[in-house]
Amino acid sequence: MRNPLNNRIPKNIKKDWKKYLVLCLLLILTISLVCAMYVANNSMERTFAEAFEDYNIEDGHFELEDEATEFLLEQIENEGITVYPQFYKDFTEDKDSDGTKEADIRIFEIREEVNLVALIEGEMPKATDEIAIDNRHAGNVNMNVGDVITVGDKKMKVTGLVSLSDYSTLFIKNTDTMFDAITFDIGVVTKECFEGLEGTTVWQYAYQYNDRPTTDEEKKILADDLIPKVAVLAATGGYLDDEDEAKELSDNVEIWSDYLEDVQDKADDLEKRSEDLKARADEFEREGKALEAESVELKEMALLKRGASELETFGNELKNKEEELQKRADELKARGEALQEERDALQAEGDALKALQPTIDEYVDNLEALEKYEDHINKLTDFVPEYLCQAIHFAPDDMGSDKAMCEVLLIVLVVVLAFIFAITASNTITAESKVIGTLRASGYTRRELLMHYVSVPVILTLASAIIGNVIGYTLLRGAVVFVYGRSYSLPPIKTYWDGEAFIRTTIFPVVTVIVINTVIVYFRLKHSPLKFLRGDLSVRKNKKAVKLPKFSFFARFRIRIFNQNVPGYLVLFAGIFFVMVLLIFSVGMPVTLKGYIEKADEFAVSEYQYILKSTEDEDGNKIDTKTEGAEKFSMENLSTVDGVRVGEQVTIYGYSKDSKYYALPYDIEKGNVYISKDYAEKFKLSEGDTVSLKAKYAKDAYRFNVVGIFDMTGSIALFMPNDKFNEIFDLEEGSFTGFVSDKEITDIDDEYIGAVITSDDLMKMANQLSYSMGGIMDIFSYFCGAMAILIIYLLTKIIIENNATSISMVKVLGYKNREIGRLYVMLTGIVVILSTLVTAAISYLFVRWLWAFVMYGMAGWFKFSMTPLSIVKCIVIVLIAYTVVSLVDMRRIRRVPLTEALKNVE
Amino acid sequence: MSDEKFLEVSNVFKSYGEGESRQEVLRGMDFSVAKGEFCVLLGPSGSGKSTLLNIIGGIDSADDGFISIGGDKLRDMDEKALTQYRRKHLGYVFQLYNLIPNLTVKENIEVGAYLSDKALDIDELLKTLGLYEHRHKLPNQLSGGQQQRTSIGRAIVKNPDILLCDEPTGALDYNTSKEILKLIEDVNKKYGNTIIMVTHNEAISNMADHTIKLRDGKVRKNIVNENKVSASELDW
Repeated sequence: MRNPLNNRIPKNIKKDWKKYLVLCLLLILTISLVCAMYVANNSMERTFAEAFEDYNIEDGHFELEDEATEFLLEQIENEGITVYPQFYKDFTEDKDSDGTKEADIRIFEIREEVNLVALIEGEMPKATDEIAIDNRHAGNVNMNVGDVITVGDKKMKVTGLVSLSDYSTLFIKNTDTMFDAITFDIGVVTKECFEGLEGTTVWQYAYQYNDRPTTDEEKKILADDLIPKVAVLAATGGYLDDEDEAKELSDNVEIWSDYLEDVQDKADDLEKRSEDLKARADEFEREGKALEAESVELKEMALLKRGASELETFGNELKNKEEELQKRADELKARGEALQEERDALQAEGDALKALQPTIDEYVDNLEALEKYEDHINKLTDFVPEYLCQAIHFAPDDMGSDKAMCEVLLIVLVVVLAFIFAITASNTITAESKVIGTLRASGYTRRELLMHYVSVPVILTLASAIIGNVIGYTLLRGAVVFVYGRSYSLPPIKTYWDGEAFIRTTIFPVVTVIVINTVIVYFRLKHSPLKFLRGDLSVRKNKKAVKLPKFSFFARFRIRIFNQNVPGYLVLFAGIFFVMVLLIFSVGMPVTLKGYIEKADEFAVSEYQYILKSTEDEDGNKIDTKTEGAEKFSMENLSTVDGVRVGEQVTIYGYSKDSKYYALPYDIEKGNVYISKDYAEKFKLSEGDTVSLKAKYAKDAYRFNVVGIFDMTGSIALFMPNDKFNEIFDLEEGSFTGFVSDKEITDIDDEYIGAVITSDDLMKMANQLSYSMGGIMDIFSYFCGAMAILIIYLLTKIIIENNATSISMVKVLGYKNREIGRLYVMLTGIVVILSTLVTAAISYLFVRWLWAFVMYGMAGWFKFSMTPLSIVKCIVIVLIAYTVVSLVDMRRIRRVPLTEALKNVE
Repeated sequence: MSDEKFLEVSNVFKSYGEGESRQEVLRGMDFSVAKGEFCVLLGPSGSGKSTLLNIIGGIDSADDGFISIGGDKLRDMDEKALTQYRRKHLGYVFQLYNLIPNLTVKENIEVGAYLSDKALDIDELLKTLGLYEHRHKLPNQLSGGQQQRTSIGRAIVKNPDILLCDEPTGALDYNTSKEILKLIEDVNKKYGNTIIMVTHNEAISNMADHTIKLRDGKVRKNIVNENKVSASELDW
């Protein structure tokens, strides 16, 4: 037989339909919102994930200073990738052709291989004066298909609105702190049109690995390996692919040149000495021959004079002559031996020089090779692996953080509502204690009654979850996608069934309601049947009245009522806390953004930051400026390896001595640094801590000791004296990156200036956040207002219902409704006011913590802060909500019947 | 009716409170009731009759002594077994009916029927109770007598071995009280349940097989009624 108590379920729901309707509405609202958030997010994430295949998204891209030669591309492709030219040109965009630039636009050719384009509306351009522009930007600045815009100097017709798969978020540069879908646009044109556009071409190349990685870890390993290789290949025009070899080459050019010069000098000396030796050898030969001739002559003379009388005299002369000749011959022999020795030495030196020949040949070849590809040397100017590309990844990553916030919202609300259900069930148990006693006395088990009293909350939660899911999947999903669409350039989004959403929006609420209600109802039903029959459900034993001070009768009465309703007021406190959290967030976020925008000027240390392309002009002179107050500074980007966010970009600044912009000591030790306030706050760093960073595209690691905090917000940065900067980054003494100045620098040729950063750039993040979050915040504000009224209505209703007998009794005694209102409504009012004040402070701290938690997952640092006035606004909203509810409460009190007091009295 | 001891109350003591506020409600109570017997517990306020009924019903416990039903001692039963005991063997009727306000007459009776495998036919019972025409009404649409009939219907629909009635006519007027007593008498005859009724109305003892008179927590008289009268003959 079906449990007949089940017949009560629809009747119980009908009896308290207003209360249950409110509870269900709250559940449906939240569940549908969270479900929509999940479904939309996950559908978008899945669409994004599938976009990698559908739109053949790159594995990364790099930019070169010049167009790569075919040989260079071949060499790069030998590293296991396929390279696709993806050149672009940046122009100004004038949407109404009134001569005023409204935005910057980046023009690409229509892609046919990678990073394909999704056509959202209209058609792709076909003629040279046609263009398709980014759908999101068009929506933000109210541009439509058919509009004629001016790109640079050229008028072009907008034929379509598109979404580029590698630009779902419009980041101008990957290093930017925030995207900009308002003043930055992307356009695609035909090949002919692109070639005809007069502008500087940026030589960008997209690449895909031939063996494509699947995880971020694999992507990182491959990218870490690829980056230096591409850098080396570009730097050597493709002639070298080994980093060490290239480094050796560049390091040894001078050594080799000196060596070859030295060898040449030696060879020249040897040759000269050989020639001298030869001359002397020739002379020696001539002298030898003369001596030989004299010796022959002397022999002939001896033969002629042998028979003569003066033989003795002649013999003496001859002897003398012979001795003289012998002496000259000995001398000549010695000279000959010396010459021979000298010749041997020269021969040895010549042989030694000959032995150097292979080295000389190698060096000569290298130098000749260098000379050969000097014409092809290029330079890698940018390298962005796909997994680090903000334009591709910002949107899906952002969605994750929104989901986390929604999850917190859902958890808090479901727990609050589960408690409201439990309190309602508990009050019903109190009201029906005698019936329960009878049922228990008749043999109903506690379990049967428990299931009965828990069934209404569970059924309603389940029904709300189902309705919420249906609304979430249908109506609200589109709304969430629309809200995201205000920020991101999304491809067409398909809806996918989401198991995670089902668990979180259906299983989680139902299980939470079951658990909380089961625990509370179980303890309420733990009393004996006799206690139920007697209506004695007090938990406290030997309950004694608390002695109260000599307050007025009404004050004491109120305290007694409060003591009697502590659980109800605790749930009221929790409900107000929940509403306050939502209010603080929805009111506080625009205030925070406004404050950020107003303070943006203070974020920049100077009005202008000039980053130079080169610090030397064509003639090799150091570039300098005479602009008053301009200072040299250095800048480098590193990334974090630990802390709350790995891979966070940290800007390293090198400042000049006695800098007026960076008021920091100059004489600090190498390795000691100051960090920005934002860096310290986000990474919880303080003086004495050590930070570990690494180069973005290399393996170089750095460790710095924090010696102080520099009062600069708006960026994650680290500061050190310029000379230490140069030492640490192996730069020449006196090197620098550019200038900081409060005045515009006009005496440096534009061709040497790489970028100019002004305070307007720093406001970009706040402006975009303000724009894209505005919609969500508006929805949230309305949601919070309604939520505040509903929750307070519900909780005060429960309190009055719980006290219906007492209210009826005082009515019987002759109290007027106004007086009863002073007792009950005023007490609830006091509780609401106190709860509002306390929860405002707690909620503010909670939201700050929650926001910081969200920011840990994002680049940059953005602290949640509110003005006292905006906190007062939240308090006033809750109090207005209570004022409305208190009027309803007065009506409720008027409607409590006099018979209520007598109904259950034996 | 059998002469066997179906319900045995043996030297039962019960007190409430501690120290100075300790109050002895039952002071060694002894009696027995045979199966199918209509037994009235009679006594003034504070005599311990409701406490005794609650202990028999297994919703309160004795400090000393025991109560056995069909040989099973209640003190040996844990809470689960007591619930099963009540479920299988007992029907309860209270002075203030304790009906479920948002269930109809028939549904309130079904609440009792649900507990039994041998439940009586509800429609037939409704007719017996004279409530058939009112079966779709809610309790607040009924008179006190009709509500008590419904309460009796809920108790007996599961055909309990023992029907415990705590001042079932306490909140009713004379005529309605007699109607209810008649109904209980009929039920006893028709279904053979053992009925234990607590009352302070001495006249009701005239229709009982057996009257136990209580005072100050003790059995003062244990009377077997040789000349019992029918409920309709009662007068007070």
